Amino acid sequence: MRETQKTRYGNIIFAVLLVFGFALIIGRTSPYVSLIKDLVYYIAYPNVASANNIFRFTGRLADNIKAIVFLYQENIAYKQENQALEDKLRNYDVISKEYDNLSKLLNLEKIKNTKSVFVRISAREPSEWYQWLIVDKGENEALKEDFPVVIFNKSKNTLCVLGKIIEVYKSSAKVALITNSSYELPVEIKDKGINCLAEGFNSNFIKITYIPSESGVKPGDEIVVSELSSVFPKGAPVGVIKEVIEDTCVDFKTATAEVYFESNVVYDAVILAPQEEYK
Amino acid sequence: MKKIIVYFLLYIIFCMLQFFFGKYLSVGGVFPNFILILVVYLGLTRGVVSTEIIGFLFGLTWDVFSTDVFGIRAVMFTFVGFLTGMMNKNFDKDRLPAQVVIVLLANLTYWFGFSFIYWVLPAGENGPSPFITAQAVFKILSTAVFAPVVFFILDRLELFARRDA
Repeated sequence: MRETQKTRYGNIIFAVLLVFGFALIIGRTSPYVSLIKDLVYYIAYPNVASANNIFRFTGRLADNIKAIVFLYQENIAYKQENQALEDKLRNYDVISKEYDNLSKLLNLEKIKNTKSVFVRISAREPSEWYQWLIVDKGENEALKEDFPVVIFNKSKNTLCVLGKIIEVYKSSAKVALITNSSYELPVEIKDKGINCLAEGFNSNFIKITYIPSESGVKPGDEIVVSELSSVFPKGAPVGVIKEVIEDTCVDFKTATAEVYFESNVVYDAVILAPQEEYK
Repeated sequence: MKKIIVYFLLYIIFCMLQFFFGKYLSVGGVFPNFILILVVYLGLTRGVVSTEIIGFLFGLTWDVFSTDVFGIRAVMFTFVGFLTGMMNKNFDKDRLPAQVVIVLLANLTYWFGFSFIYWVLPAGENGPSPFITAQAVFKILSTAVFAPVVFFILDRLELFARRDA
C-alpha cells in the first residue's frame, strides 16, 4: 500500500518536472524563462572571487595529483634501483670474503679500499685561483697529506681528478690543484696506453709532456690517470686534449689539455681516503 | 535534514567535478558524464522521487552554464532518474557488469533523447545538431567505463556515513 503510494507520488512528481522541463524548452526565448535562467544562474554561479578560488583550488589539486603520480612512479624506479644495488652489495660481500681468503692463502698484498669524505670548499685565494684551495675538513676527520681529491663532473657523470691534500690542519686542509704550476701527475692517453706527464700552468689548462713523437695523439683524446700514480686510482679522468704541439723536441711532443673541472664552479669535492687509515 | 545535507554536498562535489575539472580530465574533448553516473547510482539506491528531483536540479544547473537549449538537460536527467529509480529492484547494483550496462543504457537514453528533442525543435539558432557523433560514442563509453569507480567511491561514502550515524 505504502509502496504504491510512493510510486504514485513518484509518477506525479515526474510528470510535473517533465511538464516544467518541456515548458522551459518550448518557452526558452520568452522573458519568463530567461528570468528563471538568470535566477538559477545567480544562485548557482559563485561570485568572481569564489570562482577564481575554485579554479585555483582545482588547478592546485590537479597539479598535486600529477605530482603524486610522478612521485609514485619515481618511487617505484628508486625501489627497483635499490633492489639492484642490494643484490650487487650482497654479491660484493660474498666476493670480498672470497678475496680475503684467497689473498691470505696466496699471501698477496690486498687492494686498499677507499672511503669517500665529502668536503666543502671554505676558502680560495683569487690571485692563486688555479693553484690551491682550502676545504672544511682536516685532522678531525682523519685526513692526511697526499690524499687524492676528486670532483663530480655532471656531464661525464663520474668523479674527475681535482688535486691532492698538501697540508692538513685540525678542521681544514689545503688542496693543491692539478692546474698548479708545481703539480705533476703521471697520466696516459685513454685507450692508447701512452704514458706521459701532466703539468699545471696556473690556468684552466694543463700541459701534457713526454708524448712520443710517433704516437697518434690528436685533439679530443681523453687523459686519464696512469698506473704510475701513487696518489690517484688508475683510470680516473683528468681532461681532454685541445691542441698538440709537434715541434718542441725530436723525440717527444707536447699537448695542451683542458681539465674536467670548471675552476669557477668548484664548491664541493670528495676526498678518497684509504679505509684502514680513515676512522 | 541529514539527507538534505548529503544531497547538497553531493550536488556541490559533482558540479565541481563536472564543470571545473573537465579541462584537466578530458582527453581530446572526451570527458565522462559524472552527473549521469550519480543520477543512476541514486536511482538504484534511493528510488524514484529523490532521484528525479536531484536529476532535474542537476540538469537545470548544467543548462544554465551551457549554451544548449535551456531545459533540455533538466528533462533528460529527470527522465533518466525516473527510469533508473523504477528499475532499482530489477538490478543488483553491486555487480560490476550491471553497473556498466545500466550506465551505458542510461547514457544511450540520455543521448538519444537529447538528439530527439533537438531533431523535433524548429531549425534556427538552436536548431538540430549532430549529437550522435564519434565523440559522443566515446563520451558514452568513457562514462560507462568510469561508472564502477564512481559507484565504488559512492558506496564507500555511504558506508562511512552510515558508520558515523
